[in-house]
Amino acid sequence: MEPLQHVEKECNMTEKKKGGFFKTVKEFAYGVAAHDSARFALRTRAGMEHLFILITVGDMLGVPILPPYYSLRLLPYLVPQISTWKRRMLREKDLTDALA
Amino acid sequence: MNSVSVLILGFIVAFLGYRVYAKYIDTKVMKADPKKATPATMYMDGVEFMPTNRNILFGYQFKSIAGAAPIIGPIIAIQWGWLPALIWILAGAFFIGWVHDYSSAMIAMRSDGASFGGMSHKLISPRARIILLSFMYFYLLLIAGAFGNVVVSTAIGLKASPMAWLLLTIGGLLAGQMIYRWKKDIILTTVVTVVIALLGIYLGTIAPSNTIIGDELANSRPLWAIVAFVFCYFASILPIWRFALPINYVASYIVFLGLLFGIVGVLVLHPDFTLPAYTDFTIKIGPIWPIMFVTIACGAISGWHSIVSSSGTARQLESEMDARPVGGGVMFVEMMLAVFALIIAGTIYASPAEYGAAITKGPGAVFAAGVSKFLGVLGMPADVGRSYGSVMMIVLAITIMQLVIRFMRIATSELLSDVSPIFKNAHFGTIIASILGITVVLTGWWQYLWVLFGGANQLMASLALMLITAYLMSEGKPYAWAFYPMIFMFVTTIAALLYTSFTLLQKVFSGAVKGEALIGNTMMGVVGFFLVIAALILGFEGLKAFKRYRKLRLQPKPASA
Repeated sequence: MEPLQHVEKECNMTEKKKGGFFKTVKEFAYGVAAHDSARFALRTRAGMEHLFILITVGDMLGVPILPPYYSLRLLPYLVPQISTWKRRMLREKDLTDALA
Repeated sequence: MNSVSVLILGFIVAFLGYRVYAKYIDTKVMKADPKKATPATMYMDGVEFMPTNRNILFGYQFKSIAGAAPIIGPIIAIQWGWLPALIWILAGAFFIGWVHDYSSAMIAMRSDGASFGGMSHKLISPRARIILLSFMYFYLLLIAGAFGNVVVSTAIGLKASPMAWLLLTIGGLLAGQMIYRWKKDIILTTVVTVVIALLGIYLGTIAPSNTIIGDELANSRPLWAIVAFVFCYFASILPIWRFALPINYVASYIVFLGLLFGIVGVLVLHPDFTLPAYTDFTIKIGPIWPIMFVTIACGAISGWHSIVSSSGTARQLESEMDARPVGGGVMFVEMMLAVFALIIAGTIYASPAEYGAAITKGPGAVFAAGVSKFLGVLGMPADVGRSYGSVMMIVLAITIMQLVIRFMRIATSELLSDVSPIFKNAHFGTIIASILGITVVLTGWWQYLWVLFGGANQLMASLALMLITAYLMSEGKPYAWAFYPMIFMFVTTIAALLYTSFTLLQKVFSGAVKGEALIGNTMMGVVGFFLVIAALILGFEGLKAFKRYRKLRLQPKPASA
């Protein structure tokens, strides 16, 4: 049975290589054609979410927005995004970020 | 010489550059560490910092940097002979191009995803940042002008292209609607919209622009310049998912397929070079040094890549080990694209006189003729092939142009919003950028415009190399591999800009030009001098930074307890 097992293993490796090659081409094509669109969609969503966080708990960044009752109720849902939001708001930005 | 030999030579240079030189720098100098967390993996916010698979990033980097420049540059530069152009493409990419792209991504990644403005502030001086950002505005204007000229001359020279362009736009708009509003399947959307774009390419041959709008309008430069910038206006103002992104999405298939089949065509036909290997040291646009070195920009080295690598790619790298394939590898692929363009220009014409007659219609016409010939091997009729090549040229130019106009709008807002709040208005900013771009297109002679664009672009590259050298010095790493390319690019580009600006302004002062050419020459000459002054100030700041780092290295280390 050993020679057959060896052949089977080689076929599987060849298939994996073919699959790997097609996967690489597919990923390359995605990178060329669609990756930018996906990133833009994510950034747009994040932009709106971060704006919402700013108007609810902006005092965390020193913006004088006193959190009303409803902001505090939303706080548990916002906590996972706070560090990302802070980094994005406070990170030094310039013109070249328009290309990011 | 046979074109396949040149292709093989290109592959050998790419292989050696990537597998030997780049690998040595990556492992022994930069010491890329697979275990070290990149900003993308550390922050992973799914917004700006997003670890992305290297194959996807490879495609993204390629799409972002491959525009019309690696194609147009060699087509123009072949006027000095195909041999010097080929040597610069291969040697430039091998010693400078990949170094620049790879290092820009690497140092931005190791600086927590900082942009070039931020890094120049930190590594060189605060003044360097301000000057760099001002430099960029004029650099963007030259890109808009040079690429705008390509679009206009292609639309006029190849009458099938406007229809193809129109249907590509319609296909793109439909793609945006189908994906984002109607939530249709992506494969269905792709098939439908790419078929529409291909239909436009065919319809362009049946209904060329002169049969629809008449000869006078079809040959009108102002008309096509306005059309191009109105296109860019919509790209700048409309939500990006509505216009710019879906059009780029559909266009990427057209370009990708065209390049793939074009290269297959070269391999099948394997034509010989018919143009001379070398003509003269000095031709109409100038001497080989420094002008040829800025005429061929993106195929050898380009400052645009450093902006893409630092602001875009560096924040998505999953691992430090990905910087070499994505940053360096893609540059070698672009080098091959430039070699392909050189082969097109050098093999499809029977004589230099025939090439000379073709190039007067613009480099787009030459490219389209080449694509037509090589796609003909696969059975595509010549006129359809030319239409395909022309829309590829327009797409390659206009996808960068729309980004540039958007960028200029943001730059206008950032630089001038303190002067008056009206500059913050997106429409106003875009209109200013478009008017400036149209003025440059209509008044500048395209060959000088291309050289000025190339000079500004390569100067941007030398400034990026200066930042890279400063980083390496600050880290105590060997820096000669970035320093000497920086010196070469700095001296060459300043010489090219000075030569071109001087030539343009000399014609103004001697009264040799009148009317539009007078405005164009003055504007371009002044812009060229401004860029040189900005670069010299930055160079001076860089020198001070280098001295600072050298002093730190030479200081004796404190004695251990």
